[in-house]
Amino acid sequence: MANKVAIVLLVCIGMVVLLAISELPLYGSPDTPAQNYVAERYIQGALDDTGALNMVAAIVIDYRAYDTLIETTVLFTAIIAVFLVLKKGTEGKGEQK
Amino acid sequence: MGEFWSRILQNYPYVFALALFAIGIYTILTHSNLFKKVIGINIMEGSIYILFIAAGNVRGGVAPILDMTDTTLTYVHPLPQALMLTGIVVSVSVTALSLALIMKLYRFYGTVDAKEIMRIRTEVRANGARIS
Repeated sequence: MANKVAIVLLVCIGMVVLLAISELPLYGSPDTPAQNYVAERYIQGALDDTGALNMVAAIVIDYRAYDTLIETTVLFTAIIAVFLVLKKGTEGKGEQK
Repeated sequence: MGEFWSRILQNYPYVFALALFAIGIYTILTHSNLFKKVIGINIMEGSIYILFIAAGNVRGGVAPILDMTDTTLTYVHPLPQALMLTGIVVSVSVTALSLALIMKLYRFYGTVDAKEIMRIRTEVRANGARIS
């Protein structure tokens, strides 16, 4: 029963998203809004700005270095949380109100 | 109507992303096993990666690694790929944390089934006992 409700719901949402997909710019065409001056700037200027041949590495490490820095904070926080959750000696204590 | 379907066919990577996303949501909604819910979340994340990287593609483009010997190459958009690297890190963090929480739940309740855990909780509440 719940499976059928989920399927009907997902088909309804999927139809709406299909309408949106039909309005998206065509896949792979070079004149989509995504291929604007930003891509051109990264592709033309990556070598001069950062000295990296790999543009993805140039973006991750140089252009968006703060993004990567905070990303390591996300990873660090997750690791700390995992260690806190799996800390020994807290099994069976239950709900502490 | 014919134009609609031809556009859908030409945008097939987005349709794949939509299908994967729907499969992920369906997995989360219909499985009570917590590990399967985590797998569903990961499938949804995979669909988002496909959507972004497909949006940055150019027909005939090559991977965005500069080739000094050939200046006529067209490169695909490097920015979505960089953003999805960030997304992969977040996804790994979420998966690690949820797996740790599932391990904790398993040690406490002896099961990884969400419905079973709810049943145990309501029974304990009905008996008026504190879990201790």
